[in-house]
Amino acid sequence: MSALASEGQGAEGPPHPLSDEELAKFSEFFYRKTGIRLDERKRYYMERRIVERIRRTGCRSFFEYFTTLKLNGAAGELEALINEMTVNETYFWRENYQFECMTRSMLDEIARRKRPGEPIRIWSIPCSTGEEPYTIAIHILEYWARADSYDIEIFASDIDSNVLKRARDGTYDERSLSRLPPQLRARYFKLVSERRWQVINELRSSIAFGSVNLSDPLETARYRQIDLIFCRNLLIYFDDVSRRLAAENMFEAMSPGGFICLGHSESMSRITNLFRPRQFAEALVYQKPAPSRGA
Amino acid sequence: MGLVKAKIRKTKTGSGASDDMVGLSAALQAADPAERRSAARRLGSTTGCEAALLDRLAFEHEASVREMLVLSLMQLGTQDAVRGLAEHLRSEDASLRNAVVEALEAMPDAVAPNIELLLADHDPDVRIFACNLLVGLAHPDVPKWLSHVLENDSHVNVCAAAVDALTEIGRPDCVPALRACARRFPEEPFLSFAIDVAIARAAEQ
Repeated sequence: MSALASEGQGAEGPPHPLSDEELAKFSEFFYRKTGIRLDERKRYYMERRIVERIRRTGCRSFFEYFTTLKLNGAAGELEALINEMTVNETYFWRENYQFECMTRSMLDEIARRKRPGEPIRIWSIPCSTGEEPYTIAIHILEYWARADSYDIEIFASDIDSNVLKRARDGTYDERSLSRLPPQLRARYFKLVSERRWQVINELRSSIAFGSVNLSDPLETARYRQIDLIFCRNLLIYFDDVSRRLAAENMFEAMSPGGFICLGHSESMSRITNLFRPRQFAEALVYQKPAPSRGA
Repeated sequence: MGLVKAKIRKTKTGSGASDDMVGLSAALQAADPAERRSAARRLGSTTGCEAALLDRLAFEHEASVREMLVLSLMQLGTQDAVRGLAEHLRSEDASLRNAVVEALEAMPDAVAPNIELLLADHDPDVRIFACNLLVGLAHPDVPKWLSHVLENDSHVNVCAAAVDALTEIGRPDCVPALRACARRFPEEPFLSFAIDVAIARAAEQ
């Protein structure tokens, strides 16, 4: 999930306005479930999408819909709602300097800490429609000379189940692929229809996709001993408490000495003191402190 | 190739005796920081455990555990949590005070009912930290609270902290309080200078 939903999607026709109280209740509920704060500035598209879900579920009022949503048995509707509220726009090779940092600097340092047979684990969250985890995989295969010497596991997670389906499918248009060097498109993609390219099976099947809410410690508990996290342009949508909670959850998930890459406008130093900034030649990243040698 | 498909672990849910509040509170005293941190994390979703978290916070020196204790109190967001955190503004430990200020800044709705008490505290240091806290508190009454300090607090350093805060976030309607403060402390040239800067900034808003 890389951003909240943009205008122009969702409801057909003008939305029925919701009261301030209804929107406030909804915002609080959505925040508790996702960590994402929907404030007054996002009222217009929030309202449109709620009205759309009310229509699609056949509910006759906000009250009926909200009551349904809060019931434990309505997990499917919560998922649909989250999918409706988020958008996912990304492309291959986005902010490429961080991938260069991975293959030129970070992976070598991570590898030095590894015992024989111990895997290197990389986590892309939010992975959106898959461009980022596939970019990570291709970069490693192409540009890290020691790739064949290690078992490398790539996890890719998002809160939005619809984008996860698209990520697993791995089919993209020209816009997504425009920055990918042509020889790599030829090597890792097959043309499946006019101007639609699909990631080759070998690569698709090597990535572990899964649904995760980063601000939920129970869900993130499934991810441990992670050496490198790409968490770009997500934390900016969280409020202070959720942002700190997400940082704590990543800290718990990581191996000592592991790295985090954030989006170019984000700073971990403004969120928590748990991580140390590390300036490599290619990028500024954040590192979970490792016990000093000999300690 | 070097890529191998990873297996995602199954989530562990409640894990027995150590998940109860008594067990988790006891684990806050464990020798292993990782165990203390884990207990603090779980207590963040357990209503009624503010006292246990706050007690540990008073003695905890491991930075990562301290962050988790503070975050769990923020998650709870109760008045007990806010008041307990605010008590640590009296700490001699500057890093703990800073952590508390940052935490309280992030809880504007829960903190707001306590601001007047903090600004009336007998300890001027607490009042100064309360002014520091107001700079980052997203609440519409912040200029009003700071103006009240400028017009009433007897301690020059507390007023100076309020002036500093208004230099950052002041509005034109704070100017009368700033001028009143200058009149109350005519023998303090540094304060007059700071007030002039604050008035100029406020007028720009």
